[in-house]
Order: sequence, then structure tokens, then C-alpha cells
Amino acid sequence: MIIRRFVRTFATENNKLPFSEDMKHKSQRITSFAARLSLWVILTVAVILVATALIANLFVRDGILREEKLRAMGALENAQERIANVFISVEVAVQNHVNEIENNVDAPHEEMYRITREMLETNPMIVGSAIAFEPNYYPEEGRYFSPYSYRSNDSILSKQLGTATYDYPTMEWYQTPKELKKGHWSEPYCDTGGGEMTMTTYSYPLTDENGNVYAIVTADVSLDWLSQLMDSLKYYEKSYCFMLSKNGTFLAHPIKTTVLNETIFSAAKKLGSKDLDDIGHRMVSGDADMMRFDSPHLGNSFIFYKPISATGWSMAIVCSSKEFFRNATTAGLIVAVIILLMLVLLAFILRAGVRKLTMPLTHFTQAVNEVASGNLDAQLPKIRSKDEMLRLYNSFRTMQKSLTEQMEELKEVNEQKGRIEGELKVASNIQRAMLPKIYPPYPDRDDIDIYGQQTPAKAVGGDLYDFYIRDEKLFFCIGDVSGKGVPASLVMAVARSLFRTLSMHEPNPDHIISQMNARMAEDNEMNMFVTLFIGVLDLPTGRLRYCNAGHNAPILIIDKANVKEKDFLPCDSNLPIGIMGDWKFTLQETNITPGTTLFLYTDGLTEAEDMNQQLYGEERMINAIPFGTTSQSCIEQVTESVHAFTGDAEQSDDLTLLTIRYIKPENKVRFKKEITLLNDVEQVPQLAEFVDEVCAMLNFDMPTNMQLNLAMEEAVVNVMNYAYPKGTTGNIHIEAEANDKRLKFTISDNGTPFDPTTRRPVDITQAAEERPIGGLGIHLITQIMDSINYEHRDNKNILTLRKKLNTAARQEENK
Amino acid sequence: MKATIQEENNEYVVYFEGRLDTASAPQVQKDVQDLIDSTDRDIVLDCNQLAYISSSGLRIFLSILKSAKANGHHVYIKGLSNDLRQVFAMTGFINLFEFK
Repeated sequence: MIIRRFVRTFATENNKLPFSEDMKHKSQRITSFAARLSLWVILTVAVILVATALIANLFVRDGILREEKLRAMGALENAQERIANVFISVEVAVQNHVNEIENNVDAPHEEMYRITREMLETNPMIVGSAIAFEPNYYPEEGRYFSPYSYRSNDSILSKQLGTATYDYPTMEWYQTPKELKKGHWSEPYCDTGGGEMTMTTYSYPLTDENGNVYAIVTADVSLDWLSQLMDSLKYYEKSYCFMLSKNGTFLAHPIKTTVLNETIFSAAKKLGSKDLDDIGHRMVSGDADMMRFDSPHLGNSFIFYKPISATGWSMAIVCSSKEFFRNATTAGLIVAVIILLMLVLLAFILRAGVRKLTMPLTHFTQAVNEVASGNLDAQLPKIRSKDEMLRLYNSFRTMQKSLTEQMEELKEVNEQKGRIEGELKVASNIQRAMLPKIYPPYPDRDDIDIYGQQTPAKAVGGDLYDFYIRDEKLFFCIGDVSGKGVPASLVMAVARSLFRTLSMHEPNPDHIISQMNARMAEDNEMNMFVTLFIGVLDLPTGRLRYCNAGHNAPILIIDKANVKEKDFLPCDSNLPIGIMGDWKFTLQETNITPGTTLFLYTDGLTEAEDMNQQLYGEERMINAIPFGTTSQSCIEQVTESVHAFTGDAEQSDDLTLLTIRYIKPENKVRFKKEITLLNDVEQVPQLAEFVDEVCAMLNFDMPTNMQLNLAMEEAVVNVMNYAYPKGTTGNIHIEAEANDKRLKFTISDNGTPFDPTTRRPVDITQAAEERPIGGLGIHLITQIMDSINYEHRDNKNILTLRKKLNTAARQEENK
Repeated sequence: MKATIQEENNEYVVYFEGRLDTASAPQVQKDVQDLIDSTDRDIVLDCNQLAYISSSGLRIFLSILKSAKANGHHVYIKGLSNDLRQVFAMTGFINLFEFK
């Protein structure tokens, strides 16, 4: 049982396993290892490349910025120099004429006009020049004397500048150099007199020997070229330049209206740009630098600025940073595209490479799936590289090998289990075959009703029961071997065959049990023992002799019209057999009357347990036994009762029941005939005569008649020879009685007790030389008659021979 | 019961007549004792007139057979009726004797 359950469990597990695995596979989305690895590598490479590119870009920008700063500063320097050159040339021109003026102070006043004209002629940058004398310097000229020459349409004109409306001594260009007593450049201004020009004027004071200023020499310079100069500095498409005066006024700006009209501070205020204000302050204070700034015209820009040393002015170049870094941005874009292309290429290469590298994994997967589906010899992929794949291959190889080995082992174990199971089944079958299994067992008998049933707890059990009829005696037994399973069943088989063998020639149950006990106690190393009840029921008389070796006492059920009883059959307490080989077993005897039933059972009935370990017990058993039913019905009712009691509890022990109902047929006696002979063989002819008469009354044919003669002669002569001591005379009483069914001869004598039925039967296959002369008689009797039965009762030997009336045909068969 | 011994064709022929039962057996035993004591040729047991035989009779047959065999001669049974043959069969004697 346990083995079968194990095998079944194993089988189901084995079947289920791949199925559930399969389910798992289906429910899981598998992403390719190659794809994932590629993704990671590409991401990493992308991050590295982009970071590198960004850092490189930063350096490039920084370089560009430095380069541009140099370039811009260079340009500014250049412009400053050009401006300075102009201013110095003007200053030089003025100072060159100082001596000439001093020398001609006392010359005619026309000379002063000539000098101013000459100044314009020698320096093309000078657009106008005046020599403004202190008021009343030349009293003959009046309060104001200021000869002035200026350019007009390619010619030089002269005039007297000072008038009542033009009180030049109060002008800035006059005052400042007079105060400082040195050359001075005026703030640029817009000349409205000589045609809309931005101008600046250099004023130089002339002093006498006492150091008093007596005149101021001026040179007007047009600043229109400054705009052109500024324009020439514009070296980017999106850039512009501007110039500031000392106080921040725009001297040059792409937006012409601002020139001289606005300061950088007023513009910053107007635009709300703090940057611009800051830049204005730096420029005015004479700094030279660059900075980032948000230009109102170009947006995000850089500004480079530098002072013009000669004048205290400042110049700036503003350039859009976009413009500025255009190349860097283009380069960056190109780098980005290259990076992208490289990444795509890398992705392809990686995918192909990783796929090639992980191809064995795919094959491994297929191989393992194949292994899982039962093909243990699945081909593994070939691995040439000496890397993790080889290790994986080795692991798989080992797994495959050990799996195969284990499966082989498992198969062997299973085969063994199957064999053992099969053998157990055979053992069980053999055991069952030993039990009587055809019911009713004696369909042609109407004096006995027997039914037996065994419900084994395990495949093979240790309970036994058996019965058979010999010489009109019913031999029956019921027993329980200690223990369970195969050992118990083996002992049971031994006990059963001993019962059959020993009872064949021994009608006394105590002798049978004693002999069984002696045999089974020999070499009983396992200390197995058997509780056994053996009964021998003499069917014609109802005499029951029995011996109980420690078995449960059977129940005697008396069911008659006036008496109804259920009680235990009184049993002596004997040891079970197999414990002490020399135990003296006691014989017990009772007479049972027709209508009495004997109910035999094993402790599997009384000790049957329900779910609460309650025992079924003897009381329930006795109550369950019915009156007035057949043996089969009796057993069925008791079985039903015990099953109702135990419910679903597992049967723990064999359950064996045997019921014997004794029914004496009330056959009418057709005739009765008797004769008494002496113990003298000479009287055999009288016996033959008596038998012939009986045969004639029963209409027996001649052969049967002769055989009955033979049997009776053998039986009676045997008594004649052995019943009485030699030389003494005794009577032998012979009675013949016949009913519808059988003929019975009863031979009785008062001699010494002697049972002829226990003599060894003759071996009729022996050769003549080996044959003993005697012993043939009893053999002939058993051959001819249906039963021979010996009893010693009331000091008499009683030998009963029976012959069924319709068994002539059977006799033929036996032959 | 009568048992007659005659010498025919260099064989002893024993003629049985009537019932060979326990009562008649001692006389028949005596009749054939010489034959048993000195068997010098084959023996034929003629049972044509034998009506009945019991184990006592069978024992005499067996004695004759044992003696003859011991001297290297054969014992044949002749004219056995079917009813008696059954008795021989029941006892296995049918295997011991040769039948003519």
C-alpha cells in the first residue's frame, strides 16, 4: 500500500512538473539579453561621448572667447592709435604755429588770418582754426578779436569770430585751457554754424613772459570719420561699435540720433539695463576689459571695451554671442551628429556581437527545454571559447549526466518497487486462494450451512480460516497470526497447510493443535504465534469436539422454537500455538442440536475502532448477531453493523468471520436391519448374506453389491481380528439403516478401543516387492464408501460406514 | 471355494472357483503354499470362475507374485471379470500383474 502511494505520488509530480514550468514561461515576458546589454553599453558610451563633447565644447568656447578678446582688443588698440595719431597731429600742428603767432603778435593783424589759414592748409584733418585774443588785446580792433578760418566747399574762408552775440571768452573751449594753462580738447559738440558736423576743438593757451594767457589757439576737428572708423571695426555681421566721451555721451553709435544726444547712462535708464549702466561706469573710469551682457539690440552678447588714452574717451565693440560661437556651435552640431552615427553603428555592432556571443545561451535554452520534456540526451551547443560559456557548458553537461544517472537509478528503484508490489499481490492472491471461496461449499448437503468472509486490513493478512468435510466430520478452524503483512501471511500459510495435513489422519482437534504447536514452536526465531480454534463436528450426531489455543471464544446461537440463546462457547485457556512446543492442549466437547449456529471471528471484529478509538466490543457483536437467518445473512448483518460503527475510520486489523449452521435433515428411515456376529472369520459368509439382502432391498446393481460386500467384509474382519484379544470370544453388532439419501452401516463392539481409520493408507503405486501384505482393507473401504467414521462411545467401538444412494456414477468417475 | 493347480505347457495354472473371502482364504493359502515355496516356472492365475475377492485373497495373489518374481518367473492373470478388475484397480494391483 505505502509503496503504491509513493509510486503514484511520484508519477503525478513527474507529470505535473513540466506543465507548471511551461505555464511560468508563458506568463513571463522575456527580454533579450543582447538587447539589454546593447542598451546599457550604448547608454554608457553615449553619456561618455556627450560629456566629453560638452567639456571639449567648453574649452573650445573658452579658447574662442580668449581669441576673440585678443582680436577685439587688437582692433580697439588699432583704432585708438589711429585716433591718437589724428589728435597728436592736430596738437602738433597747433603747437608748431605757436612761435609764429608769438613772433607776429605785433605784426599787422592780417598775419593772424594767414596763420589760421596755413593751419588748415598744413593739416587736412583741421576743419577750422581760430586765434582768440583776450578781450581788448588790440584796442584798435575793439573788445573782441578772433581771426578764424574754416573750410567751405573745398575752399578756405576767414572771418572775425568774436561778436557781441558770440562772447567767446565765456566759452568752455576758451575758459578751460586758460584756467589750466595747457592744451585742452573740448567735449565733442554739434556744429550748427558750419553745416551739421560733430566736432571737437583743441584749444591751446598762449602766454606772455609773465605767464599770462593772452590768446587761445584752436583747431576744430570733424569727428565724422570716427563713425567710419567705428564702422570699419565691425568685423562680425551681427556686431556694432560705439564710442563714449569722458562723461559717457555717445560719440559714435550705429543709431545716429543718439550721438551727442544721449549718454550711456540715460540709455541704460531708458532700457532699464543694469548691465549697460555698469558697463558705462567701467568705460568712463577708463577700464579695458570684456564682459557678457544682454544687449538691447543683439540679445545675448559680449562687449569689449577700451579707453582712448589721448582723449579720455572710451570705445566698445558689442558682438552677439551667437555669432561669436557660430563656429563652435556648428562644430558641436557636427560632433553631435557624428556621435549619433557612432552610437547607431555601435548599437548594430553590439547587437550582432552580443547575439553571436550569447547564441550558445539560446541553444542551451532549447537543450534544457528538451531535457525538461524528457529527452535527457539533448545535444548541447558546441563551445569553443574558454569563458563562462564553457563553464556553463560543463555545468549543463554534469547536470545532464547526473540527471541521466538519477533517472536510471529511479527507474531501477521503481522497477524494484513494481516487482515487490507485484510479488505482494501474488502473495495476497495465494493467501486468498488458500481460503475457502466457493459458497455454498457443499451444495449437495442439507445438514450444514457454512459461510466465511475475510476483509484484510493490508494487502496480505495474518488471519486464517478453513473447513472441509472428511468422513462425515466437519473440520474447521479459525486463527489469527500475530503481526501483519507478509511475515504474518507466511505463518498463516504454514498454519493452514499444517491444519490440512495433520487433520487428514487425525480426528481429534487437541491432537491436531498439539502437533501444529510442536511444529510451529520449532525454530520460531521470530517469536510469531497463532491463536487458533479448531473444531470437529460430527455431522450425523451433532457431536462437537474442539480445542481452543488462545483464540476468541466462538458464539453459540441456539435458535429453536422454545429456546433462543446467544452465548460464548465455554473455552479452556490454552496458550496460542508456537510459544511452547510441549504445551498440553485440552480437548472440549459438547453436543449441538440442529438449529444451532456457531459464530467464529477474529479480534479484528471485537477490536474494530471508530474515529474516536472506541472498540466495537463483544456486546455490540452479540447484539448484532441475528436469529433465524442463513450463515451468509448472519455475517452480512454483523459486517454491516461493524461498518456502521467504524464509519470512515481505517480498518486496522484483518476481519475474519466464519459461521456454521447445523441443520439435521429429518429424513425418513426406509428400513433398518441388523445382525450380530461373533469374532470369527468363518462367519464372513453370513455377513455376505446380510449385505446381499440389504443391497437387494435397495435395488443395487451387481457391481455395487459386490463392492459393498468387499467394504463390509474388510471392516468387519478388521474388527474380528483386532477388537478382542486372541482366543476370547466377543460379539460384533452390525446395523444397516437406509433413508432416501444414504445407506449407513454401523459396526460396534465391546472390545479394546481401536480406531482403524488412523492406520496409514496404502501406497498403491508401490512395486510388488515393496508392498506390505496388510493394510489393503482400510484402503478398499475408503475407496468404496463415502465416509468412514470411528468413535469410542459408552465403552464401545463404533465404526460408521456411509454410502450415498446415487453415487454409483461417482464410483465410475473415481476409477 | 476351490483352488486347483494344474501343469500346462510348462506353466502352472491355478483355477479359482467361487468366493475368495477371508473365510475361505486360509484353505486357499494352504492349496497354493507349495507353489509359493518352490516356484520353478511361470504361473497363470485363471480367474474365469472367481466370483469375489477380498483383501485376504489379494494378499494370496501378492504372495504368489512375490515368490515368482524372486525366482525370475512371471505371473499372469487370466479371465478376470470387470467387477473384479475394478477391485484390482482400486488397490493398484492392476499395475503389479500381467494380464492374459
